[in-house]
Amino acid sequence: MRRLLALILLATAIAVPAGAVASPAGAPDGFTGLDRRNERADGWSETKTLTRTFVQGDGSTYSFPSYKVTVSADQTRNLRGRQRIEISWKGAQPSGGRAGNPFGENGLNQEYPVVILQCRGVDDPSLPKSKQLRPETCWTGSVAQRSQITRAEGEASWIHDADADAADKERLSGIDPFPSAEQCPTADVAGYYTHLTPFVAAKGTSFSACDAASMPPEAAVGTAAPPAEIAAYTDTDGSGEVQFEVRSDVENESLGCSHKVACSVVVIPIVGLSCDQPQTPMTRSDQACRKGGRFPAGSSNFANEGVDQAVSPSLWWAASNWKNRFAIPITFGLPPDACDVLDPRPPTGFYGSELLAQAALQWAPAYCLNKGRFKFQLNQMSDEAGWNLMENGGGAAAVVSSEHDQRGSDPVGYAPTAVTGFAVGYQVDKPDNGGELTDLRLNARLLAKLMSQSYLGSDLGRGHPGIGGNPLSIVNDPEFIELNPGLSQTSQEAAATLLSLSNDSDIIEQVTDYIAHDQDAMDFMHGKKDPWGMVINPRYRDLELPRADWPLLDTYVPETASECRQNNPGVYFSQLAAPVTTLRKIAEALLDAWPYVATRCEFDTGTNTYKMGRIDRQSFGSRFMLGIVSLGDAERYGLRSAALETKPGTYVEPSARSLGAAVRLADQAKQAHPFALDQADVQRSSDAYPGTMIVYTAARLQNLPEEDAAKVAQFIRVSMSEGQRPGSGNGELPAGYLPIQRTGVTAKLYDSAQDVADAIEEQQAPEPTDPTGNGGGDGGPGGSIVPPGDVPIDDVPSADAGPSAVPTGPAAPIAMPATQPVDSSLAGGLLPLLILLGAAGCLVATVLRVAGPALRRRR
Amino acid sequence: MTVTLEKEKAVPARRPKRRKPAKQPKQSKQPRQQTPKAPLGPPKGADAAATVMSSAFTMIAIVCLWMAAQMLFLGSISQHRAQDLLYAELRHVLAGPPDKAPPVGPVVPVGDPVALLTIPSIGLEQVVVEGTASGDTLVGPGHRRDTVLPGQVGTSVVYGRAATYGGPFADITDLVAGDDITVVNAQGTRVFEVLGVRRAGDPLPQPAADGAGRLTLVTAEGSGRFGAIAPENTVYVDAETKKAFPAPPGRPTVVPESELAMGTDKGALPLLALCLALLLALTLGVVAARQRWSTALVWVVACPLALALSWATTDVVMRLLPNLI
Repeated sequence: MRRLLALILLATAIAVPAGAVASPAGAPDGFTGLDRRNERADGWSETKTLTRTFVQGDGSTYSFPSYKVTVSADQTRNLRGRQRIEISWKGAQPSGGRAGNPFGENGLNQEYPVVILQCRGVDDPSLPKSKQLRPETCWTGSVAQRSQITRAEGEASWIHDADADAADKERLSGIDPFPSAEQCPTADVAGYYTHLTPFVAAKGTSFSACDAASMPPEAAVGTAAPPAEIAAYTDTDGSGEVQFEVRSDVENESLGCSHKVACSVVVIPIVGLSCDQPQTPMTRSDQACRKGGRFPAGSSNFANEGVDQAVSPSLWWAASNWKNRFAIPITFGLPPDACDVLDPRPPTGFYGSELLAQAALQWAPAYCLNKGRFKFQLNQMSDEAGWNLMENGGGAAAVVSSEHDQRGSDPVGYAPTAVTGFAVGYQVDKPDNGGELTDLRLNARLLAKLMSQSYLGSDLGRGHPGIGGNPLSIVNDPEFIELNPGLSQTSQEAAATLLSLSNDSDIIEQVTDYIAHDQDAMDFMHGKKDPWGMVINPRYRDLELPRADWPLLDTYVPETASECRQNNPGVYFSQLAAPVTTLRKIAEALLDAWPYVATRCEFDTGTNTYKMGRIDRQSFGSRFMLGIVSLGDAERYGLRSAALETKPGTYVEPSARSLGAAVRLADQAKQAHPFALDQADVQRSSDAYPGTMIVYTAARLQNLPEEDAAKVAQFIRVSMSEGQRPGSGNGELPAGYLPIQRTGVTAKLYDSAQDVADAIEEQQAPEPTDPTGNGGGDGGPGGSIVPPGDVPIDDVPSADAGPSAVPTGPAAPIAMPATQPVDSSLAGGLLPLLILLGAAGCLVATVLRVAGPALRRRR
Repeated sequence: MTVTLEKEKAVPARRPKRRKPAKQPKQSKQPRQQTPKAPLGPPKGADAAATVMSSAFTMIAIVCLWMAAQMLFLGSISQHRAQDLLYAELRHVLAGPPDKAPPVGPVVPVGDPVALLTIPSIGLEQVVVEGTASGDTLVGPGHRRDTVLPGQVGTSVVYGRAATYGGPFADITDLVAGDDITVVNAQGTRVFEVLGVRRAGDPLPQPAADGAGRLTLVTAEGSGRFGAIAPENTVYVDAETKKAFPAPPGRPTVVPESELAMGTDKGALPLLALCLALLLALTLGVVAARQRWSTALVWVVACPLALALSWATTDVVMRLLPNLI
């Protein structure tokens, strides 16, 4: 007993100082990466006073109370396609009639929302008109969002807009001259009112937007990217916030925003149309203009009922709304292919981890646009494949995040390059239109349950032998409900799985290592029931952890009456898990709330066959999806990351502080080797994030061609200096990475990187050349990459192996490797055996034949 | 597996006994017109067993000896014929017919002739075909598909059989440094000079100079008393030419396991099952026919079929065996 007490005391004594020091170390020089709420250098904010006014019948002006609205955005510079920026506001008029899905045309039936659009051009009167912002350059995904077509007079409130030009008060307005009946057959109907807001594409084409056919191609039904424009909801306290996804010219060519074409995000808080002097008696359109909404503030409009047009988002283009706009100027970073276009030099490939993807996106232009540096290119593949390429000379360096087995004879140095990690990203809506969940908590056993396919998914899984009593999905699991109360318990198939990687990855290794160090999770993996009676899928029972790949082991094919399933028998749990090959796909699936679950049945009338496919996007308001993402992607796309359990009852989110605390725990066994993060230490600590991973640049310390060695050393040094400056510009470190600095917790990483850079550049113990002649992997076609287990003959250096092929001097014979034996006992033994057997068969048969009658005769 | 013979009059059975036909493809004998005139007494258990054993061992002997005979002797007949046809085809292709592209790589259809290999000192003249799976090397030496074609810049690897199906590479271990190897391919003629014979443990040859072409002939050899028919270890003969033809880029970087040295082609198993089923069907057919027609007539009809099927079956079996023997 006394010993136990002493142990506890000792443990606290160790833990407390560690936690105490971590906070000052992580905080100082403004790690901005992981905490999006921090004030950013490129943030934006503006305040305006918005007032709705009516000109009364007697000519006097009546003003409603004003709203002093402040709009701010967290980042506006060097954005990338599909990046999400956080826009928040306060002081606006509370909204009413909240829609289930505020995006695109689904958000039109709301009152007093805040309309947020992406538009080409900026609000700067000094610029030529073509670079200015107009309603015509603002993107909407549907006609109904920009044009009012053949409205009865009671729905034509815009013709009394106090701020509108005389032309816009006509029965037909918006385009001059108005399109003919052939161009827009439905637009001009006598007695009805129409206003068109055409869309002018980046190349100058004008789309009249009078029906779906006269919209730009990206606005077609079912386009690749769902609508981003939003009619957002203001809470009753006048504030609101939303994550707005920006689109570059890669995603939306007609809108055409890029690093060359300036764009803005336009935020229009709707306070209602201002109306001009009415006729007496008031016409129906006069009355329509003066309406003030039928929904009380804070109410919902699930039935999608009609709303008062004068306070709806559909008239965002009307002059009195448009003048209330906040135009947030945004700039885009270089497109991902900038280096291919701008730099003709051949790239030097670094091969490996996708964890570095977002950093490499920003780093690459700092190399290719600087003639003093080499052209850096990160080729993403599994860590193991990148490592193999580096070892056999196919690539200058590998990008890995854990120690790998060395197969070649050359020593390899690991230089720390970035501190980042994985996150369990989620997209979860609170029930009853309560908005997005922002704090999800998970523990190792829940991850083990998800990954071991122990949730049933739907009633189809009930027949699975051994686990028929398990919950359908994580939202029905009492353990999850206890951790995350207040969520909807309506099960969906996507909630039974964690979207993960199908190939080998250091990330999977880290996730499984986290599970392997949790006693409860391992008890579950070994077949023990959890306190609520849930058992593991027997196929995954006693699976060896940690491991770099997660196999699909289940074989259960449900028996159902569904004809489609009978025609496409498939392993149900594998269809639920449906792992993908890259983290980027997982991030985009989360962004779109579009799981990869492949259980949708379709009947193709053309071929009369059933087929299985990916299920539909989840509908806004009832989304539930989990996936493993990199911290870089999570920050870029504004995905939310779950807090993971460390000590029992302690849940740690990825943040600068928690990454720093984990780096503090990591230690290096040997110089130039990786820093190992022991999950056992993490689970004892109260503030270290278990998903922290250090990404290394690994390169050979011997026999690397001099040219490559210089490039790798340069890369390590540059990424340790300017590459660790947080920011969104070229060469800077994006959000989601903890900067490695000369001082503080990351000092050991910094020192190690400098040492390894020197060692790589020196190439100690230089030998004449690389005898296997594999140095020029980027040279000759077909390469000289030796697949493991190949016949030795391939070790003969090809003469076409490229620049590094060595001229043979008669003077210095090169020590060549020995020929490997390739033997086959089958080949050696077959013919003698056949002949022997044949001879023996003849002999025995003859003896039997001769001896048989003789025997009989004797009898 | 061949259906054959058995003249087992030893026991004139009075009636066809129920016997498992699949196990021993020997047909029931002389059913009717058999006058039970001089029975030596009812067959005893021991006699019946002796008969069965004798037939079984006869079958084993026939199967083994047929296979050995085809691998060592009959196979060379078909290999020589295939070489004749390939030679004519290569001649045609090298003449540049309008309907067929000459084989210069990087990808040549498997089984097409790609070069003519002549080694005067050991009297070898063989047409090299594309592909090194055991089925490909039945007709002649095979060129490994992830290497350049013989005569092109780089290292070209050619696999040849050592003992069976003509054993075209049986004698290449007799080559000594300095011997000439002439290669005619679609780009012209090159003479290679042998660098030496290389076995497991020997160092690889020095890297080739720029523009040089290497040719590595690969086969197997055995040691000891039965060395000639027990080729167990791979052996390599390296040769070099100073100036080779340019090699087009884009050839495959890997070949399937069946095309590596000593590789076997498991893909032939279904075909083997089919061949064996046909043999079984023939056996049953012979049994049925003998109920109706005279023995002589049945055998006149069945023998060619049996031979052809056995031959084809052995060819398929060869694909399941290593590609260098």
